[in-house]
This record gives sequence, structure tokens and C-alpha cells, in this order.
Amino acid sequence: MSQFRAKTLDIGGYVNKWIIRDHTKRKVVAEYETERQSLRYIIRNTSLPQRMRAQAQLQLSQMHCYTRPTQVKNRCIMGGKGRGVLSDFRMGRFQFRMNALAGNIPGVKKASW
Amino acid sequence: MSVPRARILALLKTQCTIFNTTYNPNRLRLGNKILRQRLKGPSITNYYPPRIRVVQELKKAYPDWEVEDEKEDERVEGLKIKRQRGKGAPKKRRTAAESKKLLKRRPGQARPAAATPAA
Amino acid sequence: MRLPRSVQAIYLRPLRRTPTYGIPSCDLQLRSYSVRNLEFFADFAMRAAYYLNLAAKGPIPLPQITERWTVPRGNFIHKKSQENFERKTLRRLIQIQDGHPTVVQCWLGYLERKAYHGIGMKANVWDFEGLDVVGRMEEEGDRLDREMEVHWSNFGVRANAATEESLEKLLGEKAFSRQIRPMEEFIRDPVEVNRS
Repeated sequence: MSQFRAKTLDIGGYVNKWIIRDHTKRKVVAEYETERQSLRYIIRNTSLPQRMRAQAQLQLSQMHCYTRPTQVKNRCIMGGKGRGVLSDFRMGRFQFRMNALAGNIPGVKKASW
Repeated sequence: MSVPRARILALLKTQCTIFNTTYNPNRLRLGNKILRQRLKGPSITNYYPPRIRVVQELKKAYPDWEVEDEKEDERVEGLKIKRQRGKGAPKKRRTAAESKKLLKRRPGQARPAAATPAA
Repeated sequence: MRLPRSVQAIYLRPLRRTPTYGIPSCDLQLRSYSVRNLEFFADFAMRAAYYLNLAAKGPIPLPQITERWTVPRGNFIHKKSQENFERKTLRRLIQIQDGHPTVVQCWLGYLERKAYHGIGMKANVWDFEGLDVVGRMEEEGDRLDREMEVHWSNFGVRANAATEESLEKLLGEKAFSRQIRPMEEFIRDPVEVNRS
């Protein structure tokens, strides 16, 4: 959502709209993480009054969807792909192959055993 | 030989005070699981590489110094040339009268004036 | 002409001190993808330990970590033609025995300063404490209290010190009302450029 987005571009590397969106979500998630966790704690704590817990539940469900950590998706930093991304290298599988063959990823070699 | 429950609980209590854990003999759900979780925010935000703009950051760090920004200069130069040729960006409309052009009838639109009343 | 002893030693295996008790005080793990760099730096660390009078054990080779990935060769479909990649992480362990904590810190600091390219370091440092820890902690607390007493005794005795009303005003001021966002230092704000 535009209210969360940075006014100027703050990420380097490959940029497209999905990457910008995902980065915005990441920042929002980080900002609201403590709030969400505290609400989650109140909800899970059975020793607290029922009313309080219900209120916390309501509050949590009414928070913006960008604050939800499940909204974050790992994308390829070289080409913005959303599928087949190796989380060790933050790259899509094809980008990983190209970079590994070019020797840009330290320690990664062609394997045969 | 059976040990009374009270004694076991007392043991549990001292154990909890020593190891700084919560004493919860009735096994209530206290949600401590969530408090124990690590905050993932920092690692989540650092996923994409940050944008490093050397010239701008130098300018910000040393405002008194003159830093040459070739790219920016080139862009400004290009804008100047474009404006001279009359290909620059149009002036921003401030009033409704000025922006009348926008209300001009386009094919496929029925009555533009009624559709967008005076702003 | 004969070379100095310290220079001669470089051509030989690293010297080592014998520990008196053999109680480990620091475990340094070196990790790398290349054997040459790793061997070289482990050797360097051993020599540094010798000259700092530390008894070092090692370098012990630890099992290497092999990670493998299989990806399709093409960028689109063709799952039947794939390629394997692997990354082998080599590890060496150097254990310091009977080291004085400050000397161990000095050694670690030196290694960090002379860090070699392509080598990661991880150190576990153990500190030993005598019996009656609680008593000593209490003593330390008392000492700190006594030290702070000088400052605390000056607290709130000013003639123009904050009264109840002025305190309320003070708390309403900007410095106090500024709400810090959670995780402030991790949020990367965009760099602002003033074009004028």
C-alpha cells in the first residue's frame, strides 16, 4: 500500500513493482512485529480475562494485512522471480546456475560424485 | 515408596526459581511460547540489498563541499535542451479552468461534464 | 649468513606450548571453502598463540559440510536435464588451554585484525568463576551503590528543582513525547536528496 512505501527508492539491485511491494511489506512487518507478538501473547494466555483476549483477537484481525509476516515472499534479487528461489542465495534457480557457473558465488562448484 | 505431591511441587518451585522458568504445575496455556520467540524483523528487512548512492551520500555528509554528480548534471542538461525545443513537461495545472483539457470529450465516453462535476 | 631464529621458525612447523592443566578456555573454529587459505591462517593462528604464551591445541580438522543443489539447466521447463552444484565448507578447530581471559581476548582481537580473505571465524570463550559467586556479586553491588551514593545524594535538592506542576510540563515536552518506533535502528529510511 502506498502509505507504507518509501518516498524514494531504497533498495539496490534489480527492481520491479513486486520487489518494491515485497520490500515495503518487509519493513512494515518489522515495524509492527512487537505489537503483533504482544497481541498474540494476550490471545494465547488463558489466565487473562476472556474479554481482554477477545479484544486482542479483534485488534489483531483488524491490523493491516501488510503487518502479517506471511505476506512476505522471498524473491530473486537478480531477476525478481517469485518461484524457485533458493533461500541460501536469494536467487532464482536459473540465476543461481548462471552465477555459479560464472564463479560469482563463493565456494559453489559443479558437483559430480 | 511414594512421595507426597506437595513435596514434588515444592521441588518444582525451587527448580523454577533457580533456573528462572515459569512455575506452572497445572499446565495452563500461558502463551510464554510467543515471548520466547526471536524477533525476525531485522533479518526480514535485510533481504534485499540496500541502495548505495555514493555521490548523494557524499553530498549529504559534506554539504559545504562541491561534489560533481555527472549523471544528475547530464539529466538536467537534457531537460534544458528538451525545454528549449519545446518538448519539456507541461506546466502543472493549478485550477479547474486550467485543467479543462482533461475534461475534453474522448471517444467512448458519454457525457464528460456530468461524469466529473466541478472539483 | 644464518637467519634469525624467529625467521627460521617460519620454515618449520609452528611451535607450541604445553598446557599445565589442560582446561579449555577458548575454541576457535575457522571455516573456509579453500584448503590453502585455511591451512595458512590456521598456521598463523597457532604461531600467534605461541608468541602470546598460550597453549594451543590443533589445528584439528572437523568434518566438512557438504551442501548440494540440483537445478534444471534451462530457465523454462525441461526438468529432465538438470545440473548439480555443491559447496564444501572446510573447518579447523584450534583450542586454547589454560589461557588467561585477557590474553585470549588479545589473541582473538589480533586474529580479527589480521583477518584473512575467505575465512570465517567463530570463537567460544569460557570463563571460570570461583565458588561463592553470589557473595561476590553482592559485594560488587554494594560497591556500586556506595559509588552512586555521591551522585544520588545530589538528586532533587536544587532550589529550582522540578515541582509537581513543572514536572508535568516537562514530561509534556517534545523530548519526552517523541515516540520511538519499535526496531527503530533496523528500519532503513530512504536517503533524502535536496535538489535545489
